Amino acid sequence: MSRKPIIEIRELTKIYTGAEEPAVNSISLEIFPGEIFGLLGPNGAGKTTTISILCGLFPATSGNVTIDGLDSQTDMVKIKQVIGVVPQDIALYPTLSGRENLTFFGNMYGLHGSALRDKIDHYLTEFGLEKHAGKAVGKYSGGMKRRVNLIAGLLHDPKIIFLDEPTVGIDVQSRVVILEYLMEINKKGVTIIYTSHYMEEAEQLCSRVAIIDRGNIIALGNPKELVAEQPRFQNLENVFIHLTGKDMRD
Amino acid sequence: MRKYFSACRKELLLLIRDKSGLAMLFIMPVVLIVISSLMQEFGWSSLTKDPTVQVLFVDNDHDSLSLKIKSGFRESQSFEVIDRLNNNLLTDSTAKNAVKRGEYLVAIVVPKGATSTMRANVRLSVAKTLAGFGIGNPGLVNGIVFKDSVDVKIYFDPTVKKTFKNALISSIRENYYKFQTDWVFKTFNQEIALQMPMYKAPKDAFKEILHFKEEYPSYREVELIPNTSQHNVPAWTIFAMFFIVIPLTQSMIQEREGGSLFRLLTMPVSYMTLLMGKVGVYLVVCMMQTAAMLLAGILLLPLFGLPMLVLGNDILALFVMSMVVSMAAVGYGLMIGTIAKTHQQAAAFGSISVIILAAVGGLWVPIYLMAPFMRTIANLSPLNWAITGYYSIFLRGGNLIVIVPQAIKLLLFFLTTVSITALYYKYKSPLNN
Repeated sequence: MSRKPIIEIRELTKIYTGAEEPAVNSISLEIFPGEIFGLLGPNGAGKTTTISILCGLFPATSGNVTIDGLDSQTDMVKIKQVIGVVPQDIALYPTLSGRENLTFFGNMYGLHGSALRDKIDHYLTEFGLEKHAGKAVGKYSGGMKRRVNLIAGLLHDPKIIFLDEPTVGIDVQSRVVILEYLMEINKKGVTIIYTSHYMEEAEQLCSRVAIIDRGNIIALGNPKELVAEQPRFQNLENVFIHLTGKDMRD
Repeated sequence: MRKYFSACRKELLLLIRDKSGLAMLFIMPVVLIVISSLMQEFGWSSLTKDPTVQVLFVDNDHDSLSLKIKSGFRESQSFEVIDRLNNNLLTDSTAKNAVKRGEYLVAIVVPKGATSTMRANVRLSVAKTLAGFGIGNPGLVNGIVFKDSVDVKIYFDPTVKKTFKNALISSIRENYYKFQTDWVFKTFNQEIALQMPMYKAPKDAFKEILHFKEEYPSYREVELIPNTSQHNVPAWTIFAMFFIVIPLTQSMIQEREGGSLFRLLTMPVSYMTLLMGKVGVYLVVCMMQTAAMLLAGILLLPLFGLPMLVLGNDILALFVMSMVVSMAAVGYGLMIGTIAKTHQQAAAFGSISVIILAAVGGLWVPIYLMAPFMRTIANLSPLNWAITGYYSIFLRGGNLIVIVPQAIKLLLFFLTTVSITALYYKYKSPLNN
C-alpha cells in the first residue's frame, strides 16, 4: 500500500440549506490506493452526502477534497475520468437493453467504437449476461440489474470506484459474483470505497472502515482491529450497534 | 459532440419505445384537430347552410308580418321552422314548455295584431310626413298618437350561446325592417295617389343599394378564403406542440428519480450536453408533429367533408415559424422538467399552464373578443405569438419578413427558458438537494 493517499478529505462540512445540523461535520480522512474502504453508518449518518461530494454531485459547505492528486474544486472534470460510481438505485434506463444502456454510459465516459463494444462484451460475459444483452433491462431480474448497474461504473477502467450498497436486495449468486469481481479488480490496484448495511460483508471485504454517525466519524480502522479494541463484542455488527446505538433512524 | 449525439440517440430510443407517449404525441393531436374542426364546421353550418336548428314558431298574428318572418327563416336555410307539435298548432305555453324541457333551443311568439299595429303606425307616420307638405289634414293627423309597440317573445334554452341568440334576433330584425320599409313605400305611394290623382307610382319604388362583398386582404395575389381548417389546424398544432411539455418533463423526472441522472452527473459530461440532447430530439419530434398535423389538414380533413388546409405561399416561413414554436415549447418543457420535483407536479403544472397559455393566448377565443385587459395579457403568451405568426402565413399569405417579430419573440422565449434552466442547475442541483 502506497503511503500517499489517493483520496484526501480535510475538514469536510456540508450543511444543507435550511438544515440546523450539518449532514457532514468537519470530517478528515485519507484513503490509500488499493484499499477497499468501507463507509458505514446508520441511515442519515452522512455516508451518501460524503460520497456525493467526492463524486462532484454538489459542493461542500467547507473543507477540501483531493482525489488522485486533483483538487475537487478546480479539477472535477478530470476527477470524473478516474472515478466510477455505482449508485444504490438501479441507475439504468428500463426500456433500453443491457447493451444499449452500457453503450450510452460508455459513450459518456468518452468510449466508443470497437474498444467500447469489446469492453461491453467482456463484462457481459464476465457477469453471465451475454445471452440477455439485447433484452430490455426492465425485464431483468434484480440480480441481473445489479450486475449491469455495476458494469456501467467499470467500463472506463476507473482508478477509484464508489459503490453505494452494491449488493442490496439481490440473490446470493449475484452477490457472490459481484463481491468476487470487486476483490479481483482490487487486486489489480483499483481503490474501492464502499457503503453497506451488511456488516459481515464489510468485515470480510474491507481493509479499513470508517463508522459515521450524525455527520461525524466515530471509528476508523481495520475491521478486525476495531473488533479487537472492544473485547466485549465478537464482530463488527456488535461494535457498530455499540457505537451508534439502537435508536431507529429516519 | 459524440457525447451529444449519444445523448440524442438515447433519447430517441427511449421515445420510440414509449408507445403510449408516441400515441399522445402524434395520434391524439390529429384526432383533436379532426374533432374540433368537425365541431366548428357543423356549428358554423348550422348558422349558414344546413337547416339543423329547429325553431318553434307560434303565429298569433296570422298576417303579413308573421308570414314574412317565417318565410325569412325558411329562405335563409339556417333554421327549420316548426309550428305544430303532435299535429297541434303551437301556443305560447306549449312552445314555452317545450323549450323549458330542453326539447327545443328556441321558440318565437309573434303576438296577435302585430301586423295591424305596424301598418297603423306606418300609415300614421306617412300621413304625418305628408301633412308637413300640406297634404291631407295636418290638424287631424298631428293629434293622433302612435300605437304602442308589440313584443315578439323569444324563449331561449339556457344552454344557447350568445352568438346564436344574436344571429337569430338579427335574422328576425332584418326581416321585420325589410317588411316595414316595403310597407312604408307602398303606403306613401297609396297616400300620394289618393291625394294627387295624376300621380303615377313608379315601377321601381325602391332598390337596395347596400350589398356586402367580403374580401380578405392578403400578401398573396390569390386571395385566401378563411375556413375552419385554416383557423383550426394551426391553433391545435401549437397546442399539441406545447403539450410536448408532458413527455419531456416525464423523461427528465424519470431520469432523476430512477437514479440515471445521479450516475450521469458523476460522469465527465456536462448537464447542459445532456439537456441539449433532449432538446435536439424533442425539436425533431415537434417538427414531425407539425408535419403530421399539417398533413392531416391537407389529406384527412377533406375526407370528413371539411375544407382542405391551404398552406401559405412561403414554405420557408412556415418552416422557420414551426422551428421557433418548437424551440419555445421544448424550452418551456425543459424549464418545468428541471424545476418540478415530482411527476405529479410536472404533469399538473405543465398541462394546466399550457391550457392557460392557450386560452389566454387566443387559441380558443379570438383576442378581439376579449376584454381590453385580457388583450394585454394575451400579448404576453408565447402561444399568442405562435398563432399570430401562423395566421400571418396561413390566412394572410405572409412571408418570412412578416413573421419576424413573432419569430424573434419565440426565440427569446426559448433562450430565456434555457437560461433559467441553466441558472437553476448552477444554483440548485438538478437532483434537488
